[in-house]
Amino acid sequence: MNTQPYNRSAGSKEVEHKQQKRFVKGWSVLVACLIAILATSSPAFPQQTTKLGDSQNGKAVYEKLGCTQCHGAQGEGVSGAGSNAGVPRIASTRLSFTDFLQQVRKPKGQMPPFSTEKVSDTDLTDVYTYLQSLKPASEQPVSTASASKGERLYRDYGCYECHGFQGQGSSSTGGARLGPPRIPFSAFVSYIRQPTGEMPPYTAKVVSDEDATEIYNFLRSIPPPPPLKSIPLLNQ
Amino acid sequence: MAKAEDAGINRRDFLKNAAAGAAVLATPHVAPARPTETNLAKNPPPMSREAEVETPAPVEVLTEERSGSDFMIDVLKSLNIEYVCSNPGSSFRGLQESLINYGGNKNPEFITCMHEESSVAMAHGYFKIEGRPLGVFAHGTVGLQHAAMAIYNAYCDRVPVLIIGGNILDATKRMPPVEWAHSVQDAAAFLRDFTKWDDCPVSLQHFAESAVRAYKTAMTPPMMPVLLIADAELQENPIRADLKLRVPSMVLPAPPQGESGAVLETARLLVAAENPVIVVDRTAHNAAGMAMIVELAETLQAAVIDRGGRMNLPSRHPLNQTRRAYQEISNADVILGLEVNDFWGTVHSFRDQMERTSQLIAKPDAKRISIGAGGQLYKANYQDFQRYPELDLDIAADAQATLPSLIEAVKKQLDANSKSALQARGARFASARLQSLQSDREAATYAWDASPISTARLCAELWAQIKDEDWSLVSSVVNFVSNWPLKLWDFNKYHQFIGNSGGYGIGYNAPASVGAALANRKYGRLSVNIQCDGDLMYAPGVLWTAAHHRIPLLTVMHNNRAYHQETMQVQIMADRHSRGIDRAKIGTAIDDPDINYAKLAQGLGHYAEGPITDPKDLRPALQRAIAVVKKGEQALLDVHTQPR
Repeated sequence: MNTQPYNRSAGSKEVEHKQQKRFVKGWSVLVACLIAILATSSPAFPQQTTKLGDSQNGKAVYEKLGCTQCHGAQGEGVSGAGSNAGVPRIASTRLSFTDFLQQVRKPKGQMPPFSTEKVSDTDLTDVYTYLQSLKPASEQPVSTASASKGERLYRDYGCYECHGFQGQGSSSTGGARLGPPRIPFSAFVSYIRQPTGEMPPYTAKVVSDEDATEIYNFLRSIPPPPPLKSIPLLNQ
Repeated sequence: MAKAEDAGINRRDFLKNAAAGAAVLATPHVAPARPTETNLAKNPPPMSREAEVETPAPVEVLTEERSGSDFMIDVLKSLNIEYVCSNPGSSFRGLQESLINYGGNKNPEFITCMHEESSVAMAHGYFKIEGRPLGVFAHGTVGLQHAAMAIYNAYCDRVPVLIIGGNILDATKRMPPVEWAHSVQDAAAFLRDFTKWDDCPVSLQHFAESAVRAYKTAMTPPMMPVLLIADAELQENPIRADLKLRVPSMVLPAPPQGESGAVLETARLLVAAENPVIVVDRTAHNAAGMAMIVELAETLQAAVIDRGGRMNLPSRHPLNQTRRAYQEISNADVILGLEVNDFWGTVHSFRDQMERTSQLIAKPDAKRISIGAGGQLYKANYQDFQRYPELDLDIAADAQATLPSLIEAVKKQLDANSKSALQARGARFASARLQSLQSDREAATYAWDASPISTARLCAELWAQIKDEDWSLVSSVVNFVSNWPLKLWDFNKYHQFIGNSGGYGIGYNAPASVGAALANRKYGRLSVNIQCDGDLMYAPGVLWTAAHHRIPLLTVMHNNRAYHQETMQVQIMADRHSRGIDRAKIGTAIDDPDINYAKLAQGLGHYAEGPITDPKDLRPALQRAIAVVKKGEQALLDVHTQPR
């Protein structure tokens, strides 16, 4: 009989145990709070663009509290597939500050409540401001040539396999909706280099920064979809 | 052990002995010179002296009134088997002939299949609609080997199929060379890991009792395929006149119910919970089961997560929180699994990177309860039983059979004062369900006008055309179209969804859809199949089976021109090694040339159109195709789609 432990299982168990321990200890407590926030977010939530705090401090607090571990350096989140819903994208948040605070203090979902002893309202205000600042690239139009090249690269690099030919995403592959992008280029390129979810990593050896830029430009060039109300088939 | 009086007259022995006797009488021991054809014509050989003076040799008996296979058909008729799916084979020629002539080709009727994998998968799909098994005839060797993958799917999916394999056990009766290659000592050996029971009867009465036992065994939860070997000698030998044969009576056993104390404790935990979650999978056996799941959920106003093994819960029911599974599982204080195949995977997430990691998504102190028969009879070799789940209460019983007592216990324990809290919980779920629907509809607008056509658009167009019909989605691959039917359509009847394949063996969907459509035919339902291209190409001949047997079916191709899942897998490896992904389609793409499924289907007797690449062309094409199907025929639309 083989008495050697099965390495992969043992490794998985160890990591699982460590993750649970870390989870309970609290650095990722805020992360999970943010999961809950975005899990309940929907277009019905009002957009709030008012700058409330110090974005720079918000970034520092965001990183210090380890929000990056799950939500990524730029709040890009993690796509999940099947029953694994992943970690929501939180850049830029669409919650009102009141809802944001409510969800952090008394979250629904995976994380325990996050008290004022761990993070003050002021710091959360700054975090909120930072998250709001994480918006897609400028509204400058994308040249046709760049969009066209980006589209070719998007296909050549097989991005469409998980994300669809127009970046619409898929719940079965776990590929997030990309077009038009809702995160800044820095977050985009950061994520493809070091994805925190199921996506395989695309190193610079495979996709250069220049090619990533063109792909991002292609995604920016994708027009918004038609309004839901204009499609009778989706209202029955 | 066979009794001599049961064995009947051995036809082959009789013929052999008669011929041998005649030969002894008619020919000298030394063989004469072989006459040539010319010599024979000119100079017929003179009769020998012995032949002239002795009694003439007896005439060979070449016909018989009834053979054992007639009785076997009597047995199958007693089990109310409606169809036998089969690719014809000589090792069961006796059975086939008895079925079509002696049995009148009715109950069961012979369904001609072009692959044994199709035969079993058709039976699988049929059961999902009809709730009772079909028969399958196959060669005990090459046929069962073809059938093996589909049998494994049925085993994993806890679906009964009554398989009868032909064989010639007596080595002296095998005609060389083919029958030797098609004979086997123990035909069931290689299937024993994924069938529930098998037998190799050696007499007709033995066959009858084993057939009835096989049926009962297959239909008792956990349901699984069973295999019976019908020896060719037993099929073909005459039934001796004095042989007393009897078809045994049969009653299905009451399915196992949960122990009463455990059921009461489950009810107590559910009632006391702040956020109870019910997870369903291969749970509802029929419409009654579906109604009981709804009743339990509504009584508790609990969220239900449907893992899709069966049609368990209306897709738009306010308590159907499947789209919010992650949130509800992570927020639950009691998780009740009803025939959940993968409880561990329900409460954990799993990440497939260089180091494979998992994470508990449920609260560590959430109570986990399982009621299920499905997991009570797994075998050691194949690992479909999934990772070991840690449970607080494990009730080994059929979930549907246990639901009445559980519902009653919950109702008794519910406090009248809890009514308002339950209402508030229900209202929260109703609101969340509407938000999910709205969110899904918003998501469907993306790539709405794209070409290749988005899977959302495909499913929305299809829904618009069938929603006012008595429709049935006889497709198991909804995940391959991003689950859009489950997101956008209103499923509210048991026959509208057939779950998945169980073992994830590709090649299941096409034949399962034909089998399910066969079950739907007598109810006049509109059977609709969303069909993946790679799956169809395993055994496309099943389209001919649908046409030949006049099984009405609409097939809409999800033709993404690739083994798309595998493309992504190769991409993952290529990215891991930073080798570029431009070669990831080698071995995974199904293009160059693109397969023209419309022409393929036309050649197999279907009305067909395509390839359709412009989403605006979908609606009229669907309308034309549905008109054809409503006339009782078959139609296929080849649609070039996005990958998922």
